[in-house]
Amino acid sequence: MASTYEVQDISYSYEAVPAIRGLTLRIEAGDRIALLGANGSGKSTLLRLLDALYFPSAGSIAFQGEPLTEKCLQQEEFFLNFRRRVALVFQNPDVQLFNPTVFDEVAYGPLQLQWNKEDVLRRVDETLEFMSISHLRDRPPYRLSGGEKKRVALASVLVLDPEVLLLDEPTATLDPKSQSQVVDLIQQWKGTAKTVITATHQLEIVEDIADRVFVLEAGAVIAQGTPSEVLSNSGLLLRANLIHAHRHRHDGVVHSHPHLHGHSHHEHER
Amino acid sequence: MHIPDGYLSPSTCATLYAFAAAGWYAALQRVKRLLATRAIPLISVFAAFCFVVMMFNVPLPGGTTGHAVGVGVAAIVLGPWGSILAISIALAIQALFFGDGGITTLGANCFNMAIVGSFVAYVVYRMIAANSNLKSRQRVFAAAVAGYVAINASALVTAIELGIQPALFHDPSGTPLYAPYPLHVAIPAMMIGHLTFAGLAEAAISAGMVSYLQRADLGLLRGIGGLAQSPASAFANPSAEGSQRRLWWAVALLMLLTPLGILAAGTAWGEWSSADLTNPQTRKQIAAASRNHAPPSSVPAGIAKLSNLWTAPFPGYAPRFIKSPMFGYLLSAMFGVGILILASLLAGVVAEKWPRRSLPL
Amino acid sequence: MSRHPFLERTLRGFTRAVSTALASEHAATQPGLLQQLDPRVRVIGILALVLSVVLCRRIAAVAALLLIAIAIAAASRVSIASLAKRVWLVVLGFSGVIALPALFLIPGRPLFAVPALHLSISVQGVRTAVMLVLRVETTATLTTVLVLSTAWIHILKALRSLHLPAEIVTMLAMTHRYVFLLIETANQMFESRQSRTVGVLSGPAQRKMAARTAGVLLSKSVELSHEVYLAMLSRGFRGEVRLLTGFRFRVRDYASLTVFIITSCLVVWIGR
Repeated sequence: MASTYEVQDISYSYEAVPAIRGLTLRIEAGDRIALLGANGSGKSTLLRLLDALYFPSAGSIAFQGEPLTEKCLQQEEFFLNFRRRVALVFQNPDVQLFNPTVFDEVAYGPLQLQWNKEDVLRRVDETLEFMSISHLRDRPPYRLSGGEKKRVALASVLVLDPEVLLLDEPTATLDPKSQSQVVDLIQQWKGTAKTVITATHQLEIVEDIADRVFVLEAGAVIAQGTPSEVLSNSGLLLRANLIHAHRHRHDGVVHSHPHLHGHSHHEHER
Repeated sequence: MHIPDGYLSPSTCATLYAFAAAGWYAALQRVKRLLATRAIPLISVFAAFCFVVMMFNVPLPGGTTGHAVGVGVAAIVLGPWGSILAISIALAIQALFFGDGGITTLGANCFNMAIVGSFVAYVVYRMIAANSNLKSRQRVFAAAVAGYVAINASALVTAIELGIQPALFHDPSGTPLYAPYPLHVAIPAMMIGHLTFAGLAEAAISAGMVSYLQRADLGLLRGIGGLAQSPASAFANPSAEGSQRRLWWAVALLMLLTPLGILAAGTAWGEWSSADLTNPQTRKQIAAASRNHAPPSSVPAGIAKLSNLWTAPFPGYAPRFIKSPMFGYLLSAMFGVGILILASLLAGVVAEKWPRRSLPL
Repeated sequence: MSRHPFLERTLRGFTRAVSTALASEHAATQPGLLQQLDPRVRVIGILALVLSVVLCRRIAAVAALLLIAIAIAAASRVSIASLAKRVWLVVLGFSGVIALPALFLIPGRPLFAVPALHLSISVQGVRTAVMLVLRVETTATLTTVLVLSTAWIHILKALRSLHLPAEIVTMLAMTHRYVFLLIETANQMFESRQSRTVGVLSGPAQRKMAARTAGVLLSKSVELSHEVYLAMLSRGFRGEVRLLTGFRFRVRDYASLTVFIITSCLVVWIGR
């Protein structure tokens, strides 16, 4: 069976500034992937390329054996099929919540894909229930908290039961409780047929949400491996600007080592 | 400048709604054609932006503040058609949701600010900015003047709409039923506030924003998605743009010179009504202008039949209630030119939409 | 802290806008008269009444409509006090002031003279001033009650069922949604600039601040619109707009609609 994603040597530029250069990777169905990289490394751009919102200027992307090109997406059948099966959750939920109420937001996807009215209503209610946001049904988006917005954004894509979930920094700007709720959700999909590709720079969640990690830097994949392999390689993490090193004192000695704040203990590399 | 309900009669409201609807239709067609699916998010968010800008208190000389409409910026970045839609949507939300401006008068407000305002701003900006460098001061100056003139044009049209109410709509005892002040009160009252405060606020915001865009976001200044191209042509050809600009200057000049027509004495030869042919005074004038041939002693049958078929809204180029003939002339000229321009622009849009049968080769 | 009145006034304007939205949301959930009706009936009914206010030619008729408007407001659990503060005083302050000179300027039968000012107030002047103010007050009351009792999205969906084009409805909905986001953004920008300025800015510097804030807001807005576009595409948008209206008429809706229409026509007829 064809891979879910076969990305061959793609390049993409924003207004003459290269964002992706010579990037290659392969993702199989059911994989849980983390795209690890600092801001500006190209993770968001890659997710949008995978969601066929942008198209590479060089190289190719194939989705389940079919090439993803602008021309293909102009065909209605392919378009509807693809949009149902692949879903992208944007980093900024305000961008994704463009409908007047939570209900309208979650109903948007099914309506665009031309479901009939009863199915839309039923499915929307199910999804609101599943995400525990039924009480927010008639709320306009500007009256939602950050965590609520995120849950609505997730609901708005989950309503279509997509096969591939592309998540752009799903836990950024969230309070710890909301963060753990999102991580729990992603963990639920472990072992299912869902392919989850999460772009993040937060190292602490990587082990929970992924079985394989691609490290991105300056628009290319510089390393890949399991979470433990990647996270223990501080040289790699330093190079990718995911951790920092600064000088500080320990017991009267001034030294410098790479580390990550927020852990209960330092990890020293001697 | 937002007219509340109750200031305009139902027939005035209906007429202006009709004009506005034509403008909205034309604008929607054009914007959809140029932007396709991008239109909805772009116009919506831009309308939200205009709405918020309308809430800014702009500090003005003398420690006062004024409000801008944002029509200058909208016309520069979105072009006149996009600006019509964005400003109209902002006005609709202001009226319905925030009670700023009436519902029966929404058509009028949109016509005055969104349609007249956008076109005047766009034309003035293109005329003055010409082909100058995007980063030049000429552009900033053009934006300031465009905003200023546009707001005052909107204010003038508003004042005219308000000023004709008492003469046209009153009860038998002479009580005005809607806006109570005639033109010679309404026009100065409105124009003073806008020639000073509102006009300056718009000029300040338009110029300030162009200046900001020159430094921070040049792409926006170029106009989005082909919308800010000249409304009647899709040429990227500078000489075509240049000749069109010269045309606009010529039209503006001619409009301003129309009062010269008052200097012409007597009546135009051949343009006589049956009243002219029976009045002894005018009969003498006609004879004098016809090498002393006397006009026929009785009114010819054809003229008599057709003479009263149609009475012009502005007989003698001056509405009945305008006292100064020169101003009446100028007003008629602006009205006439304005209607012609609007009609030709709309005809252009309709003609593009009209299905054409392709010729067999 | 009135160093920069333009800043304070602008920020206050923002607060007022947000509080209006909140008030509307709160009132829309109250069990009042209008809230029980189908939104289409509310929209058509109120519009019919607004139209009749403008069509009437007699003060008594407009006054009757004002009373009807107040009755509807009270029945819809809209506080009369808030109506007075939010609508009536504001209208008086604007249209009332505009109408005042009409007392003296409109020619007609003199009512009484003000000798000190060498002016006389005419009957026609009084009538026209009263008529104008009444018309504005009544229509403002009616629209306020409609907006307070009905969520914006329902007003729009009602307009859609009345055949307003789908694109226009979508744009009105999206604009409304993002107005509050942009207000918040502008609010933050102004507040942060306010806290960072020491002393009093000169006039030109103040103008520059206002214009620059507007400029940044513009860039952010256009950027936002690009992202929203991508989000729409990602969820299957191809240019057509599909809305779910889901309104259903009940007996009380037919009845109320009839009452609205008949009342409007009656008042116009009597007040012609």
